[in-house]
Amino acid sequence: MDRGLILDVRDASFRYSGAARDALAGASLAVSAGEFVALLGPNGSGKTTLVRLALGLHTPHAGSAAILGRAAGEWPRGALARAVGVVSQREDNLFPQRVRETVRLGRYPHLGPWARERDEDREAVERALERCDVAGLADRWLWTLSGGEYQRVRIARALAQEPQLLVLDEPTASLDLRHEMELFELIRGLVDGSGLAAVFVTHDVNLAARFADRLVLLAEGRVRAAGTPADVLRRDVVEAVFGWPLAVSSFDDRPQLTPLRRQP
Amino acid sequence: MKWLVLSLALVVALLAAVTLGPAAVPAGQLFHSAIFWDLRLPRALLALLVGGSLGAAGASLQSLVRNPLADPFLLGLSGGAGLGAVLAIALHLGGAWTLPLAAFAGALLALGLVFRLGLVGGSALDPRVLLLGGVAVGAFCGAVTTAVVSLAEASALRNAYLWLWGGLSGASWDTVTLVAVYVPLPLVVLLAAARPLDLLTLGEEPARYLGTDVAVTRRRVYLAASLLTAAAVAVAGVIGFVGLIVPHLGRALFGGRHRALLPASFLAGGILLLLADTLARTAVAPRELPVGVVTALVGVPLFVLLLRRWTAA
Amino acid sequence: MRRCAQLLVLLALACHPAERGVSAGGAPAQRVVSLAPSLTELLFALGAGSQVVGRTVYCLYPPAARAVPSVGDGLNPSVEAIAARQPDLVLLYRSPQTETAARQLAALGIPTMLLRDDRMEDVARTARLLGRATGHPVAGDSIARLIDSLVTAPIPPPSARITFVVWDAPPIVIGSGSYLDELVIMAGAENVFHDLHAPSATVSLETIASRDPDWIAILRDSSSAEPPAWAGRREWRTVRAVREGRFLILPAELFGQPSPRAPEAVAFLARLLNHSPPPAPR
Repeated sequence: MDRGLILDVRDASFRYSGAARDALAGASLAVSAGEFVALLGPNGSGKTTLVRLALGLHTPHAGSAAILGRAAGEWPRGALARAVGVVSQREDNLFPQRVRETVRLGRYPHLGPWARERDEDREAVERALERCDVAGLADRWLWTLSGGEYQRVRIARALAQEPQLLVLDEPTASLDLRHEMELFELIRGLVDGSGLAAVFVTHDVNLAARFADRLVLLAEGRVRAAGTPADVLRRDVVEAVFGWPLAVSSFDDRPQLTPLRRQP
Repeated sequence: MKWLVLSLALVVALLAAVTLGPAAVPAGQLFHSAIFWDLRLPRALLALLVGGSLGAAGASLQSLVRNPLADPFLLGLSGGAGLGAVLAIALHLGGAWTLPLAAFAGALLALGLVFRLGLVGGSALDPRVLLLGGVAVGAFCGAVTTAVVSLAEASALRNAYLWLWGGLSGASWDTVTLVAVYVPLPLVVLLAAARPLDLLTLGEEPARYLGTDVAVTRRRVYLAASLLTAAAVAVAGVIGFVGLIVPHLGRALFGGRHRALLPASFLAGGILLLLADTLARTAVAPRELPVGVVTALVGVPLFVLLLRRWTAA
Repeated sequence: MRRCAQLLVLLALACHPAERGVSAGGAPAQRVVSLAPSLTELLFALGAGSQVVGRTVYCLYPPAARAVPSVGDGLNPSVEAIAARQPDLVLLYRSPQTETAARQLAALGIPTMLLRDDRMEDVARTARLLGRATGHPVAGDSIARLIDSLVTAPIPPPSARITFVVWDAPPIVIGSGSYLDELVIMAGAENVFHDLHAPSATVSLETIASRDPDWIAILRDSSSAEPPAWAGRREWRTVRAVREGRFLILPAELFGQPSPRAPEAVAFLARLLNHSPPPAPR
């Protein structure tokens, strides 16, 4: 086994009970330390199911999903939370909370039910706040933050877990251009700076192509293409997957897609 | 500092509860009087334990069902307790402890039903089903109770209602001892779940990713909080608003972290009920007000104030 | 205890004695439905028992009343069940609910009387009223005279202090403005909660303990002379009379409702007090 291999999903299939077809049919996803992998695909292509399998929330009916060599479903949730930090699509705070408070929650996987917070926990929180550039917001209420600030705070919370793998499920949805760029830059910086592995689920194919080391393109529960952006974003493949005519150009040596207007 | 203030408030409330009362006891003789030892002191201690239980149960249930308006009695326990008490009277069960025991059994029955309902969607209790199931079970028990009361040929059944709203008048050293032995276990279970509870306020999925076994946490918290409430209703009847308001006060003063919030809610609940009961005993002496009336009279304005702060912020 | 509790409910509703209703006209009523235990008892005492065609489930005295078909609850009456008895007079205990029922009965053309008999004086007035309505005016007058003479008789100086305990948790006692309070005074005793201007009221146990009655009076359906179950509870033992087991167990059928047998009840209570050992000096 590759020593740096952190997430290893192999030929995994899964069907939701009552569904007519497999949500995932033999998909694979491998992520190593220091690697930024973007997971792409149209709506309903199986991205979220693949993430859930990778995180042990579902058990594959066929194939396997392992984190650090151990089947994802066998990890105790506490231990898994020390290895993997997740920024999920949605969360809603029941009660008002301040930024630092919510980032402190990231230390809980490292604390027993009765243990007090140690200095190293407080340091990890401050470090995470700084790395995500939200230390200045630490005493603000969450509901006073902009969408981009809020997402950075949630990433800080995941970093406070001190994980080896960071999974982000569409974190840039509903962010404006600047905030979206800031977020991609942040993740790229984290991966480069600390050897963190990142799985980034997104609909923004062009930004994924510019920031990610590798892309995994899903269609109908299968991996349609995987590899470097140039390998994956070939016109015929992407047009087939998204069902829309496209033009492929290049910027900074990375492929960029431009959707075409329908011919009148 | 906050804890010091809370402790001081507790001391003041305890002192008020044991020194004030409709019977005039000279200060010098207070510690030699049966009124102090056998009536006021056990009643004050029971108020502390019951109010504390309701405060802690309310704080944890609000996070569990993800609803800031949840009250421990929202989950059907008062309906079950009322049904138990009425059945005990209708079946002519005698004995000094019959009513509390029957009410406790009724509350446990409701608890079990709601718990079973909550499991319909899988092993992780669904909070929405818990809430709806609690309301439904409570209403059902209430309907059966009303049917028993109107059909059975015993108007003493009406007294079951009196008892159910009777507050702390049944306090004695026996009840205090019983409750003092009983309450710590569910409290410890809740405290042990303090961190998972913090995470649950973010929602089920984020809580999971932060290391919580959601199904286990929900089951433990629901059972522990309900057992606290069942004991409270068995020894003191239905006392509203403590479990609703105290957690919000606790959050305003101590923040949302359950490791601080749960003990703070316990203390604040105890203090509030101590003060309310002292007021209930003395305000219209020699008559006595139902303590639930006083908690509502004190609690609702406090709650309105809180709501205003919340919406203004 | 059972009827005592009903009494409590009746007392809780009482505010002023008054009666109102459609009079039965000239002819005496022949088919009477009585919706209060006290009124049923009074009808039988008047000699109008055979004219009673309906009663409540709580009307158990005199024993002959039990043979009359029940129409259910008296405070929350079923108009349909009452009408089915084809009465020419319905007697109701006056309360907001029964007033509604009376209006509905009147709409059906059934004469009604709304009566309130909470106190001794009410018994006399009601006896005269019902005596006339049922064709037994002489019996009505004679009962009324008996009650009047009891009310106007000189009151003996109080020799014992009594608390009526209606319910134990929360403790509910009888105050002034109630039939039982009047009985106690006439029997030569004192209700320690006479200062409570309510037929019944919740008080705290420490108030009972500090007022230190000589006797705890309770009403009971059965003839058992055992102290009540709550007497064994530790908090109740702060009351001296409970500690010393000084209970006056009174038959609920005699004491539980305003009754033409008030003289008998007064004599019963007085006899109990005279034949019991005097309270230990305080």
